Amino acid sequence: MLKNKTKNREKIVVATILFMILFLGLIARLVYFMVFQSQYYSKKAEDLHVRERYIKAKRGKILDRNGVVLADNVTVCNISVIHNQIQEREKVIDVLCKELNLSREYVEKRVDKVTSIEKIKSNVSKEIGDKIRGYNLAGIKVDEDYKRYYPYGELASKVLGFAGGDNQGIIGLEVIYEEELQGEKGVILTYTDARGIELEERGEKRIEPVDGSNLVTSLDYNIQQYATQLAKVAMEKKEADRVSIIVMNPQNGEVYCMVDVPEFDLNHPFDMGSEYSDLNQMWRNGCINDTYEPGSTFKIITTAAALEENVVSLEQRFYCPGYIMVGDRRIRCHKYGGHGSVSFVEGMQGSCNPTFISLGLTLGVDRYYDYFSKFGLLEKTGVDLPGEAGTIMHKKENIGPVELATVAFGQSFQITPIQMATTVSSLVNGGQRITPHIGLRILDKDGNNIKKYTYDKGETLVSSNTSETLQYLLEQVVDGGTGSNGYVEGYRVGGKTATSQTLPRNSGKYIASYVGFAPADNPQVLALAVVHNPKGVYYGGQVAAPIIRQLFENILPYLDRM
Amino acid sequence: MGRNTGKIRSFNLKRKNEYFFDYSLLLVVLFLLGFGLVMIYSASFYDASTSKSFNNDAAYFLKKQAFASMLGIIAMIVVTFIPYHFWEKFAVLGYLGSAVLIALVLTPLGIEANGARRWLNLGISVQPAEIAKLAMILFLASMICKMGKAIRTPKGFWLVAGVPLPICIMVWKITDNLSSAIIIFGIAFLMLFVASPEYKKFFVIGGGVIAFAAAVVIGLTMMDTSKLQEMGFRSARILAWLSPEDYAAGKAFQTLQSLYAIGSGGLFGKGIGQSMQKLGYLPEVQNDMIFALICEELGIFGGICVIMLFVLLIWRCMIIASNATDLFGALLVVGVLGHIAIQVILNIAVVTNTIPNTGISLPFISYGGSSVVFLLAEIGLVLSVGRGIRIKERV
Repeated sequence: MLKNKTKNREKIVVATILFMILFLGLIARLVYFMVFQSQYYSKKAEDLHVRERYIKAKRGKILDRNGVVLADNVTVCNISVIHNQIQEREKVIDVLCKELNLSREYVEKRVDKVTSIEKIKSNVSKEIGDKIRGYNLAGIKVDEDYKRYYPYGELASKVLGFAGGDNQGIIGLEVIYEEELQGEKGVILTYTDARGIELEERGEKRIEPVDGSNLVTSLDYNIQQYATQLAKVAMEKKEADRVSIIVMNPQNGEVYCMVDVPEFDLNHPFDMGSEYSDLNQMWRNGCINDTYEPGSTFKIITTAAALEENVVSLEQRFYCPGYIMVGDRRIRCHKYGGHGSVSFVEGMQGSCNPTFISLGLTLGVDRYYDYFSKFGLLEKTGVDLPGEAGTIMHKKENIGPVELATVAFGQSFQITPIQMATTVSSLVNGGQRITPHIGLRILDKDGNNIKKYTYDKGETLVSSNTSETLQYLLEQVVDGGTGSNGYVEGYRVGGKTATSQTLPRNSGKYIASYVGFAPADNPQVLALAVVHNPKGVYYGGQVAAPIIRQLFENILPYLDRM
Repeated sequence: MGRNTGKIRSFNLKRKNEYFFDYSLLLVVLFLLGFGLVMIYSASFYDASTSKSFNNDAAYFLKKQAFASMLGIIAMIVVTFIPYHFWEKFAVLGYLGSAVLIALVLTPLGIEANGARRWLNLGISVQPAEIAKLAMILFLASMICKMGKAIRTPKGFWLVAGVPLPICIMVWKITDNLSSAIIIFGIAFLMLFVASPEYKKFFVIGGGVIAFAAAVVIGLTMMDTSKLQEMGFRSARILAWLSPEDYAAGKAFQTLQSLYAIGSGGLFGKGIGQSMQKLGYLPEVQNDMIFALICEELGIFGGICVIMLFVLLIWRCMIIASNATDLFGALLVVGVLGHIAIQVILNIAVVTNTIPNTGISLPFISYGGSSVVFLLAEIGLVLSVGRGIRIKERV
């Protein structure tokens, strides 16, 4: 038998010491990971294990100028089942069928589905949710949630817009003021295993949501309500396709109301009904998203330019034989047989086309186009609503005498109704460009002002003399001209009518419109009504002016009190 | 009472004077075994209780391992009380037998699990590589003793170095288990080191291996990526080892999950049973990756305690080997010492991403029946060698 020699013992010790050194190295490695790198890896591991579930924030309210709530929130419930917590299957199915009005098949299929959580129905009213919770059945989960609610349904639908299922604004003010209204989501952090199954016994962390701020608008609930009624009546009576009404303060650009009937129900924004083929069509706000040929109301703009350039005086005479020759083209006046010899004031009262064509031609393409541009007609108004359409206008180099003549009385180009109302406001308010707007202030949930939106008056468009002359002329139109249907007893009102044939010219379709303002010598309110495709009598003076007259009869006394 | 205890003590003292029995070694092994069962249960209960393939039985892995441990303890007791020279007769048989068993993996008796064919169905499933480790220790100890002084000649040296190679290559190629092949070769190398009086050769060979490995790694890092993709599996492992976060979804997935577990343990860990990484995030958590779980649940404190237990175990083996009455006994113990030390070091090096990822289990703690049975049998051998040591009379 071989002896275990001293040399062998020495080597055993050497080998063991080598192993010990390696163990020391590994301990050093552990210290590196578990002491110095611990935070880094803990964070990474935490990110891997934690699932984030978001809690909706309450969306801010939208208020009218007097504090009437136009967009609110209601508490709703989402009902779901957790398959492996269900104890009394039959009872669970019975209760869900009964309370939620669902078919037995539908409920059974969901109750028997082996998933961690299965949604049965969302946006259930709180009463029903509380009732189901009252049964105290294991496996049924009732989560509370907020849903946008519009107390007045259709009112100002295209202006307010609506919010979608994830509380995000989809159209209208809800989009533009999204950041202020939406608030901040809260988070529930829960631990899950690698398959994503939540581990309830490990608890959860909550970060509470921050509610959105409230938006105060310039809209006036009463004016909006009344204008909507008038528009509806007009649309029905005249079997029109659409009626738009804008009422604004011509001094500062605050929009009191914006109507575009037919409106839609904000609480059911995805129900199209039969008359639309496309939701975007239903949601379109004709006041800002669509353009039209303004027609004779645009003579206000031609007049302003001519007055500013001193190429016309009120007493100047014009002769209208019923047409005017521009180059080799014969452009007719709307009055068959013509107005004969008229002063400029009479031409305005009678809305005589040859009179204004003469003004346009006298100004010439350069000067006319400069004013068109200076008045802001080539740009958007900057209203705080999404999707404002731009002006459709000839390129300057393509404008010949005929084009100039048609533009001078409001044809062959298109602008939006809001652009029309804004430009007229800016010309009659003393001559300064304003920005139409609806959002005024942001309030926190206690009603404190957080933010104020200010729109300074823009550049001066015309002198105050020109503006006063325009006020006078337009008051004459109402007092003894085509706008006489806009006359309001006891108030000084200025206004202008328009009747334009839509393209193609032989379609027999017209747009009747009227813009009015009061008081004529110091305008505080301006209203524009546009009626699309009225049947029967289609003149602006007959169709649109009475709408604004009725509106003014009601709101002028009301505004006096404000 | 007092008198009786006195009697028993004097009796014990008398026995102790005659025999040596290493209780501290036994205690360390039993503690590791019990601790291992607790950690296997902690590692596996969630997965086992939520998976139909384990009958939703939370204790599925615990029960299997406890059964294997019982078998192992019986084997250990039996081996302890058999004089170790008895086994010398089986040295050649063991060597050839393990070669045959490895070859049998290729026959229908072989069992495939987790994508590798490494087990044999002999009534219970057995991993031949584990048998081969024990057989190699026995065969080399016996061979070196028979060679006598011939080991000092170059021929003898290379013969001992060459004998393990066929088995190593079989383990590597047939059962696709490079790590076991490396361990077997490591054990043989250590035994040769102890038996040979030389130092120089070993340091030259050891230095050569390290230099070669370094050259391979440096070569790989300098190569451009398009070429690397053409090369296989092992080079990808090396790259994943060098920058695990770049291969997080692929080769380095397990390593990175292991580092998350270890790093998030911190000083005192999340508490036993509280690991998050075992919830399906860390693959093989009850097996090769159990040390990462220990670190996550018990912190650096627990991790170092486990390392210290292995250090103590190796230390006891060293004492027994140094005091063994003959070279055969000493070499047997050195082989077992090498087996345990190499496997522990490689396992912890893998979970801490100190070396490229390769499947090595942690002795006595990782889940695995064959491993624990043969390891306990090896401890039996060590205890048996220990019993041969005579303690000098104190008087």
